[in-house]
Amino acid sequence: MTTIAPAAPPSALERFQGLHLGPYLFTLGFAFVAYLVIGPEQFVNALTIGAIYALVAIGYTMVYGIIELINFAHGDVFMVGAFCSMFVLTEVLGQDGPIHDPVTLAVVLFIDFAVTMLVLGVLGMAIERFAYRPLRNAPRLAPLITAIGVSFILQNVIQIIYGPSPINTPQIIDPNVRVEILGISIGWVNIFVIVTAVVLMIVLQLVVGRTKIGRAMRSTAQDRQAAQLMGVDINRTIAITFLIGSALAGAAGVVQGLYFGNIQFTLGFQAGLKAFTAAVLGGIGNITGAALGGFLIGFVEVTAAALGFFVWGQAAVFAVLIITLVFRPAGLLGQQLGERT
Amino acid sequence: MRYARIGALAGAVVLVAAACSSGSTAAPGGSAAADKGTLKVGVTLPLSGGSAADGQPTMKGAQLAVDQANEAGGIGGYKLELLPLDHAVNGKYNEQQGAQDMQTFAGDAAVIGVVGPYNSAVGKVQIPISNDAGLTQCSPANTNEALTKPEFGALDFRKNYPERINYIRVAATDDIQGPAMATYAFEKLGLKNLLIVDDVTTFGKGVADNFQKKWEELGGTVADRVGAGPDTTDFNGIITAAKGKNPDGVYYGGVVTSGAGLLLKQMRQQGLNIPFTGPDGIVNGPGDAEGSLIGIAGKDNAAGSYGTLAAIGDFPGKADFTAAFEEHFKGDADFNTPGAYSGPAYACATVILKSLEEFLKASPDADQAAIREGVRAWASDPSHSFETVLGTESFDANGDTTLPFISFFTVDPAAKDGIGDWVFKEQINFGSQ
Repeated sequence: MTTIAPAAPPSALERFQGLHLGPYLFTLGFAFVAYLVIGPEQFVNALTIGAIYALVAIGYTMVYGIIELINFAHGDVFMVGAFCSMFVLTEVLGQDGPIHDPVTLAVVLFIDFAVTMLVLGVLGMAIERFAYRPLRNAPRLAPLITAIGVSFILQNVIQIIYGPSPINTPQIIDPNVRVEILGISIGWVNIFVIVTAVVLMIVLQLVVGRTKIGRAMRSTAQDRQAAQLMGVDINRTIAITFLIGSALAGAAGVVQGLYFGNIQFTLGFQAGLKAFTAAVLGGIGNITGAALGGFLIGFVEVTAAALGFFVWGQAAVFAVLIITLVFRPAGLLGQQLGERT
Repeated sequence: MRYARIGALAGAVVLVAAACSSGSTAAPGGSAAADKGTLKVGVTLPLSGGSAADGQPTMKGAQLAVDQANEAGGIGGYKLELLPLDHAVNGKYNEQQGAQDMQTFAGDAAVIGVVGPYNSAVGKVQIPISNDAGLTQCSPANTNEALTKPEFGALDFRKNYPERINYIRVAATDDIQGPAMATYAFEKLGLKNLLIVDDVTTFGKGVADNFQKKWEELGGTVADRVGAGPDTTDFNGIITAAKGKNPDGVYYGGVVTSGAGLLLKQMRQQGLNIPFTGPDGIVNGPGDAEGSLIGIAGKDNAAGSYGTLAAIGDFPGKADFTAAFEEHFKGDADFNTPGAYSGPAYACATVILKSLEEFLKASPDADQAAIREGVRAWASDPSHSFETVLGTESFDANGDTTLPFISFFTVDPAAKDGIGDWVFKEQINFGSQ
């Protein structure tokens, strides 16, 4: 990029630049400014909503990274996750309100997450198998339209089953229970949402970075044909990518239900749009970028609300996206992908 | 093939004609006039999904009036038919669908009048169409003042025929409804510092502006004034921001499908246990009704909510009306008790049917176009009055009711066998002021 004299050893500044910390510092700086502007309680609100966006955004970015498809059905997969969680809680486990016994709560939460993530993972794989795989070598537009079609199918199926009204889902973590941390009153459910999202993201990073299947995913993303020649089972790898992305969307659906206690079949469209924005903002194809983008969007939205410009919140989100793309067309972390984006 | 189809069509026409003529010979009912066919009363409301709690009981109010007219032998030799069209899309009212439905009514010559709509934003797109068609429209629930009053811009909606009043309503307007709650909250509830949220729609922002103006005149302060669009699900940012300013109450300008229930629920979750007030948009049925405020927020969270209705809550014939309604719809699984706007919708249908009856007395042989215009002219004439279930109703030169009542309701979590419902508190007639 820049012309460096070949003989000179890298200066401290250049070594620092070599770490590519810019996007992280940008996000941290943004979070810090937001913290100063909106105060600690709003900061927790922003982290909570940002965590949900981040979980959904990861699914967008993983799918784009591996087959260059903008999976417009992903927002609705998230919505199905919220409904699946409600089904598990009410029909299977018979819950209808807060659980105060910590052991029962942990067991119920574990079952809820396990079942929902598994069901959604299988759903994601099925969508890939029947809607996208037959079109893998078709022109780009065909799978895109198919994705929109899948989105409508998921919405309509849920609408037929549960009706078009918003419906209540049990908040098994009592939303009225709050703790004082450093003089700030924070709801338990907020802490749970943030911690769950962060843990899932760390696990994902480990899977992608340290395991054999992770290596297969990365190599497929880099060059599908070369990976195939090296003995990577492409179909299996892509299916597992959909499984993981959709399972994370399912987890996001579970926490959405726990946090808001009210879900509707149209939920996926708004959330999907914002998560997609987060994925582009972070550099589509890059998992860490999607997570950063999700939190950034949470901060932008809540800051707008805190400053009394709630109605401009969505406009502010897209303004931030446009400004970022003007200065970094590949998104915050997009550069590290090289020629992919 | 082509000829066969035309033949089938012709056959169908003959059949219909035969059905009509045979109908006229076998006319039931006591009236001496022969059966001249069927006229339709349109109903334009959001009827499905989250809007069903608003729309269905309102539609049934109109249905009751039409069914009763048919049981009494029809009007002037005509049978009547209710033609309800649903403009809820994905469970929320939709202006474009409302406009299409109004085109359908306007294009159907047998439609002599329309009851509805429910939401003012829909009224804004429908009135230009119904005004062009000269079709009477009577809204049981529209409250935005701009729909009728020229000083608020009503002439924009009847550009082509500004002198032709075709839109009338039995609901009071938001320049009355908003201030009424302001006075109630300030004087009766003793609130001083409010968070005001609106859903940035025609109705919601309008009523919140009217509320805020009166509230500040009374000496109340505004902790925060926020607009949150009808797709909002996360109000936590707004609530946390307002909490720092210690509000002692909330006014929500909007409807439940815009998020009133979620705002209330999230307020309670953040420990903000202050009174929640709003216009008629939040008063939408008991806790078990689909999409109701009490159902979404939970009945205990909804306690301490106060809402207005832009209609008379405790009207003289209420007990009889309720009994007739429940008797008529007792076979229905849902919405078999009157809602807040069932009475007004019944009154609207009464006004249209009464106008039809009077017009047909004067000119019994008029064709459908003349009937449509005759109904409009009779209904909108300020010198005519109508004996309705709400009282003796008449309409001023703009089409507004001369009985602008505002009623106050509050949530009682124990009402309706413990599922929670809105209970009537008091009502004020602002026509006398």
